[in-house]
Amino acid sequence: MKTYLKIIIFISITIVLIGTTIVPIPFIPGLGDKARIIYLHVPMSWVAVLAFLISMINSVKYLKRKEIIYDIRAFSAAEIGFLFSILATVTGSLWAKFNWGSFWNWDPRQTSIFILLMIYGAYFSLRSAIENPEQKAKLSSVYSIIAFVTVPFFVFIMPRLVESLHPEDTIVNSQGRINMNPVMFSVFMFSLASFTLYFFWMLNIKIRIEKLKLKYSELKNN
Amino acid sequence: MYEFLEKNAMYIVLLISLIIWAGLFYFTFKVDRNLKKLEGEGKD
Repeated sequence: MKTYLKIIIFISITIVLIGTTIVPIPFIPGLGDKARIIYLHVPMSWVAVLAFLISMINSVKYLKRKEIIYDIRAFSAAEIGFLFSILATVTGSLWAKFNWGSFWNWDPRQTSIFILLMIYGAYFSLRSAIENPEQKAKLSSVYSIIAFVTVPFFVFIMPRLVESLHPEDTIVNSQGRINMNPVMFSVFMFSLASFTLYFFWMLNIKIRIEKLKLKYSELKNN
Repeated sequence: MYEFLEKNAMYIVLLISLIIWAGLFYFTFKVDRNLKKLEGEGKD
């Protein structure tokens, strides 16, 4: 990644943090200043879904072309997606503590992210349980595709099917129109873009690390 | 002191989050730079 992009990432996330804490927001009944968590919590969830999608796409590519680079990309994306899922859970729990009174309430949103974490946790267990690299790549690719099928269900469908305390229609209302104060919406979109950029930088680093690991293990075996 | 912290809570949150972000960015930047060095050694 080019140096100027890294500088852009640094400046943009710094602006996001300033926007998150200092920029005034309108009074939202029942939320108040706690609504500011949306600038961090939603981008974390968005990046996690994006990462799992990238993991699934690369898994499909691996099964099609049988080139190890796709498995490396799939694994790296899943690992970063897992990290961002944890961050989304932590930011959500912090918000829940101040709004609902406890960190964990088994709300449908919390339950669905918990199951999603278990599903992707099993992906890493599966990978670590198989010695043969080809078999590992093949089986984990199949698993990653199946795991991603559950993502839209657990992130978008299931929490809306069951009654939940989680705020809904905060960004877009049921008619598909933007339901947010323009200033808040700008900071929110800027945050989404900034964290997405940072994710791609992290992914780039992770893929390069995995490639180097592979190269050195091949050298060691020869 | 308590009054100061209460009145400027948001600025304190900002300061702490900026320190964490600066540390995180420095760490990522350093890993990237070291990785570039290792990749260069690998090519040689």
